[in-house]
Amino acid sequence: MATNGNNENLKDLVGQFFNAEEAGRVVEDVREGEWIVREYGAPEPDSRLIADIKAEIGGALAERKSRAFRRTVYKVAAVAAAIVIAVTMSVKLSERGGESETVVAASMIPAAVWESDDIAVDDAELGTIVGEIEELEGDLLALELGENGGNGYEAVEELEAELEEIEGVFWKG
Amino acid sequence: MAESDDLGRIIAGCKDGDGESFSRLVDIYAGRCYGYFYRLTGNKETSDDLLSELFVKLVGKIGRYKGGSFDGWLFKIASNVFHDYLRDKQRQKRLLDGRKEQLELEKHDDRQSYDERVDKLQEQLGKLDDETRELIMLRFYSQASFKEMAAMRSEPIGTTLSKVHRGLKKLRELMK
Repeated sequence: MATNGNNENLKDLVGQFFNAEEAGRVVEDVREGEWIVREYGAPEPDSRLIADIKAEIGGALAERKSRAFRRTVYKVAAVAAAIVIAVTMSVKLSERGGESETVVAASMIPAAVWESDDIAVDDAELGTIVGEIEELEGDLLALELGENGGNGYEAVEELEAELEEIEGVFWKG
Repeated sequence: MAESDDLGRIIAGCKDGDGESFSRLVDIYAGRCYGYFYRLTGNKETSDDLLSELFVKLVGKIGRYKGGSFDGWLFKIASNVFHDYLRDKQRQKRLLDGRKEQLELEKHDDRQSYDERVDKLQEQLGKLDDETRELIMLRFYSQASFKEMAAMRSEPIGTTLSKVHRGLKKLRELMK
């Protein structure tokens, strides 16, 4: 085991810091000192220790691979979850948008009301519908303000069921 | 050149997590790193522990090696491992108390496979201050140039050269 010091030119290096006379002595001290260290070699590591270290490295590598795999799985799962949430929300939003148009604009005012000639009866019917709509507006406002106890999905479904019931009652007269 | 290409391939294998490459790296460097730790601690068991710690740490750190002298990079980690060890005050105390005792025990240890002269060097190294001893061992076992050593220690090259020179000169006198 020898010091090669990347084969640097010790004389040149020392010459930059010491005068010529000192430089010679410094180079000799360094070379002689390193020769002593080389001559008095240190013990070698035990072969069992080397085997243990290699086994330990094997364990550390397995752990590293396992961590990398888990990270990949978590990333894929997170992306998949984000896609599922995004798709679900867009489907829900498009469903809600469609239903509100159908319920409020088309189904709530039956054609019979428009075609009837009995204004008094029609006014009474319309008054009931307006009352129901106002009640629903209140419910929707409560939903928007988060006053529904936190379960928005159930509340919307309840609201939809209520609208369907009103519609059914109205058509039955 | 061929040797450095070979080392380059081994390091690339290590970065890919190849166990065989790590195994070859251990074969190449274990002796020198062990000698470095042994000369600094004078204790075989401690050197065993530090050598294991160094190579297991290497598994996590190898990805950060970005080229340059691998020996210098590795011995910088070895030096950090040694300093972490020293920072543990309890262990440091045990090291200082046990050093003389250990040397005495090893003199009479029939299992020792190296020459008894080794103990003489260890004994004289113990008379140098910690920094000088570490510098001399770093220079010898890492095979680093003074320029690389100065970079590792973030100090001017003249300072490193001067410290190593003074240490080796003193060691020569002690060994006479």
